[in-house]
Amino acid sequence: MNAASVPALPQATTHHRVRRAARTRPPLRMALNLTSMIDVIFLLLIFFVVTASFTLGEGIITAKLPQGTGTGQSSDPPSLPLNIIVSAAGQHAYRLELEGYAATPMDFRQLHDQLVAIQYDESRNRTTGTHKPDDPVVITPAGAVRWQHVVDVINAVVRARYTNFALTQAQ
Amino acid sequence: MTPLIDVTFLLIIFFMIISNFISEQSVEMIVPRLTESTARELESPRRVVVNVAPKPYNPGDRADEPLAWPSQAHWVEVDARRFDMSRLEEVTAVLDFAFKRAPRDGDGNSLLEVLLRADAALQYDQVAPVLTAIAGAGIDKVHMVSYLPGHGPNEQRTQP
Repeated sequence: MNAASVPALPQATTHHRVRRAARTRPPLRMALNLTSMIDVIFLLLIFFVVTASFTLGEGIITAKLPQGTGTGQSSDPPSLPLNIIVSAAGQHAYRLELEGYAATPMDFRQLHDQLVAIQYDESRNRTTGTHKPDDPVVITPAGAVRWQHVVDVINAVVRARYTNFALTQAQ
Repeated sequence: MTPLIDVTFLLIIFFMIISNFISEQSVEMIVPRLTESTARELESPRRVVVNVAPKPYNPGDRADEPLAWPSQAHWVEVDARRFDMSRLEEVTAVLDFAFKRAPRDGDGNSLLEVLLRADAALQYDQVAPVLTAIAGAGIDKVHMVSYLPGHGPNEQRTQP
């Protein structure tokens, strides 16, 4: 076996040497440090969860309750109260009635309009009616009327600017 | 220094969340939603809330049509104290006690405000005994709770 029969290995050239040097260098890749970004995002998330309010805003409408034991003293004859009777029609409908008036309001907007029409208040230019804003108004719902509709009636009375109204129960 | 600040901020947020949960501990229900509402916010800090709690349900299920389900009064809650519907005289006693202790204005009227929160679907004959119980404590003025304009369930918030 002589050296001539073995094929010579290719000689490393300058060219090869340059290529190998390039390969051993670590590849250039951008590394983004995620940890701090996640920290900040979580903090922002918690901040917005805390500041958001999930509760629905609730307000109040004030009504008087009938007091059985009151002994009233007045020099003026008491004015007759305006009676609003609410009765239930079916499962969740209602029927409104203004005692002494033939027209029955179909909904709470009509009730409000009618209450305004029968009001006497010169300062608001309401001169067609006879009920003063501080005349007593009595709301009498039947037992089966939903609470929603009771508060609807109170709202209509307040919106028509009656100030002296009370809630009673049908006998 | 940095970890110390981190921990401090976390503790601040933790306590903020906890205090939020404490203050929102009210009975879950759908109160009446009014069209052209005159409801206003109550400023007075001296208030006692009388809740007429319905049998528990998930308010999200009923947000579209709160009146479609019959609602049954379950208990009355006055300032986190529960009373059975059959023992409303205890409610009168509690309110009477609260009213006697509350401060009064120049005319001798109590400054305590009574708020009545009742589910919109309740029938009036379930709320009326509670009204009678409140009136029995010598209280002649009660505030009915409803949603503020633009705040009802499933309602576009038109006002901030």
